[in-house]
Amino acid sequence: MPKKGNDLRGVFINGLLTENPTFRLVLGTCPTLAVTTSAINGLGMGLAATFVLIGSNAVISLLRNFIPNKVRIPAFVVVICTFVTMIQMLMQAFVPPLYDALGIFIPLIVVNCIILARAEAFASKNNVVRSAMDGVSMGLGFTLALILISSIRELLGNGTVFGINLLGASFEPMLLMVLAPGGFIVFGLLLGIINAIGEKRKAGKEDKEVAAA
Amino acid sequence: MNLRMSTGPHLLDKDTTQSLMLDVLIALIPATALGVYFFGVSAALVLLVCIVTAVLSELIWQVLMKKPVRITDFSAVVTGLILGLNLPANAPLWMAALGSAIAILLVKQLFGGIGHNFLNPAIFARAVLLASWPVHMTSYVLPQRLLLGSAAPSGVDVVASATPLLSTSQWSTMDLFIGNIPGTIGEVSKAAILVGFAYLLLRGTITWHVPTFFVGTVALLTWVLGGNPLTAVLTGGVLFGAVFMATDYVTNPMLRVGQCIFGVMCGVIVVVIRMYGGYPEGVTFAILFMNCITPLIDRYSKRKVYGEVKQHA
Amino acid sequence: MSIFTFRGGIHPLKDRHEGKSETRDKPVKEFVAKTVCIPVDTHLGAPSVPVVKKGDRVLIGQVIAEAAGPRGIPVHASVSGTVTAVGKMQMMGKLPSPCIFIENDEQDEWVELTPLGDVEQAAAEKIIPAIQAAGICGMGGACFPTHAKMTLPEGQTVDTIILNGAECETFLTADYRLMVEQSQRVVDGLRAAMRAMKVSRGVIAIEDNKPEAITAMQQAAAGRTGVEVATLKTKYPQGGEKQLIEAITGKQVPSGGLPMHVQVVVLNVATAAAIADAVKEGKPLVSRITTVTGCVKKPSNLLLRIGTSVSDAVGACGGYSEEPGKIFFGGSMTGLCIPDDQVPMTKANNGIVVLNEKQGKSHVENPCIRCGRCVEACPTKLNPMELRNLLDTDKMEEAEKKNLTDCILCGSCSYVCPAKRWLVASFKEAKDLIAARRN
Repeated sequence: MPKKGNDLRGVFINGLLTENPTFRLVLGTCPTLAVTTSAINGLGMGLAATFVLIGSNAVISLLRNFIPNKVRIPAFVVVICTFVTMIQMLMQAFVPPLYDALGIFIPLIVVNCIILARAEAFASKNNVVRSAMDGVSMGLGFTLALILISSIRELLGNGTVFGINLLGASFEPMLLMVLAPGGFIVFGLLLGIINAIGEKRKAGKEDKEVAAA
Repeated sequence: MNLRMSTGPHLLDKDTTQSLMLDVLIALIPATALGVYFFGVSAALVLLVCIVTAVLSELIWQVLMKKPVRITDFSAVVTGLILGLNLPANAPLWMAALGSAIAILLVKQLFGGIGHNFLNPAIFARAVLLASWPVHMTSYVLPQRLLLGSAAPSGVDVVASATPLLSTSQWSTMDLFIGNIPGTIGEVSKAAILVGFAYLLLRGTITWHVPTFFVGTVALLTWVLGGNPLTAVLTGGVLFGAVFMATDYVTNPMLRVGQCIFGVMCGVIVVVIRMYGGYPEGVTFAILFMNCITPLIDRYSKRKVYGEVKQHA
Repeated sequence: MSIFTFRGGIHPLKDRHEGKSETRDKPVKEFVAKTVCIPVDTHLGAPSVPVVKKGDRVLIGQVIAEAAGPRGIPVHASVSGTVTAVGKMQMMGKLPSPCIFIENDEQDEWVELTPLGDVEQAAAEKIIPAIQAAGICGMGGACFPTHAKMTLPEGQTVDTIILNGAECETFLTADYRLMVEQSQRVVDGLRAAMRAMKVSRGVIAIEDNKPEAITAMQQAAAGRTGVEVATLKTKYPQGGEKQLIEAITGKQVPSGGLPMHVQVVVLNVATAAAIADAVKEGKPLVSRITTVTGCVKKPSNLLLRIGTSVSDAVGACGGYSEEPGKIFFGGSMTGLCIPDDQVPMTKANNGIVVLNEKQGKSHVENPCIRCGRCVEACPTKLNPMELRNLLDTDKMEEAEKKNLTDCILCGSCSYVCPAKRWLVASFKEAKDLIAARRN
């Protein structure tokens, strides 16, 4: 991780690609598998998590020098809960269908590893601006991953993406894709493909990364 | 004189991976032939599409990935044929092809090719198809021709989701045994499966442990729970699954004791799914589940190594 | 009669009668070569020290190399004639072996022999020294000096001697012919060994595919004190020392232990016959029965002088019937390959098998399909598949924990493997590495 304060671009790229929470860190897999049955669900979940991430990262970063080390995890959780409750109420008020579709997984954002992990690994060690930027990038990385997985699942399992029919009327949907095993299969395959690409790129980028570290 | 030097053994057993796969293919001939006889050209087409897709998928993958091409070991043919025999005769051909590709690419090649798949490829593909297109997978046609028996009611083309499991009363035991019933191409004729089983045993390709414990458990548990053990065994895919799919080398335990546990557990899961589960048949999921458990069984079933006795007994 | 056996094992070359049908009914013929080349280091332990030089005339049975130390054995001239060289010869091992070359003068002159007398009368304490003086070592393949095996450490006792007549290896019929034709010698040797070691029970163990041998040995054993004949199931490696002991006594040799730890000593039947000669006639070990088979014109059982070259032995069988691709000493399961046909016969060599180009060709290894045949075949009840995977991933310690060192290198796993994996070859390599590290 770059130490220079002005390298916000590096922080942004980091969460989006190099340390994408879903495909590189493999965090928060439970909502990843559960809610990606349709692209709109994936987008909703991703944005909700992004909101919580930005808020909690910023607040925890502000409080980082006041929270005693021994109780930091409960303190983080309290902060995260606050934001989760906010987004839950907001969604219930403004997008009730999405709220219903995501169900239990909204309150469960509290225990989403991505959020706690970023609080612990990043926000508690960095200033507000960088922490908020980390929240943005991690959140967007998570959102993009969910949209990718859920688009594939929705396309194969229902013939649509964001509700738009792409494969025509004669397409017989592959129901498995919107069931739990479909989530595992698509997630596993994407993980494998992205790792394979990463391995290839790493070979070329090796020197650069060594210098940066 | 140019002599080769090596450690022994200098002459090896005649059995090769290829010959074992050929044995399985030979053992499947009766079931295949009777399936085609019962269900006609459409069945033959399904089987053909499955086999061709399986072999082509393997070939294309191995060429693209620059791996040694191993289609001559016939394992892809076996996978394709077994998957085909697990489909209803009126299955859409695109579905059969997709299933074959899933079996070879997703389960076999992605995990490292022959010997490395942790699930039986054919049965995983069947599970995918069953979960994806339940209607296609469970609307069985009646046999077009009958053998020996004659109990099948006529006039209906497609028996929607009626595996004989649900309505056994209309079939005689003889019909169930010979195969004059609706079902997947390969599973209907228990007689043909038993002939194949006998051949495999005779050739020493498989041992009796898994099939016997599997089928035995299904019969016993059904009887204990108040069902008819004979119909339980003669309907659905128990016999086909026990003989041809649960005995897949790669995905069942190494030791005899492990194989017995494997067979019994398969049987228990089948009966539980049949009696209490949402699906009418549970063979597919029973075998898949036990495939996943196999490494655990292997890990915990140990045998005493020679000489591992107390030093001063 | 009950038939004894062990668990595991295989039936190699079952469809060809273990490769034995060509020679099993061929009576033993003697063949004496024009020249012999006698290696002095083929037994386990320190090589013997040559005591003759070029130009010396030697008689049959004359010591040409002295035993090195109390566990060593002397080497005797196997023909009468002139020493032409004391040199080296490339054998099965990595380095050339020191050898003594003798040209036969066809006089067949023996040195003066000093017999101990009848095996039942001879002084028991003189038998083991006589065995050492006769240069006898294990003739079943290992060539471990027999007197050393029979000399027990202080406090160790033994109650049974098992004579190994199983001959479970493929192609070999030398022990079979010996038991059929010279059963008396075998029983005499066993009695001598029993008296020397003060053992009351002697068991001659023979596989049930050799009924003639069983009958012959039963007749010879009739009326002899403590001698019995046991029938074994025909199965490979029934003649493996540990498997044989388990079959006969029901006891397992503890891991890392020796047969004497379960009060047993195992001798080969040919070794017993050599012991009988040493005691009754004072004759040293200068010749042995060897099966010469495979791609030779007339497969035979030959009585060959130690040091006869493979090409001479094959010549006595009418020569090669095909261009040889591989030649090994012993059966096809564990036989040791030789680099060319000038290699001489050793005391342990019970067979010369010639394979043609096609049979001798190397095969390609395929991926393991987890069929479990190796697991079933392993007489030591190891898991060859798992061990091989561990070795392939450099987990030597893990493999050691899974009893890799208990592997007896019988080759059963490699034989049955449908993927034709080099299982036993990799185990041998790993065991050698472990042994080297431990020393």
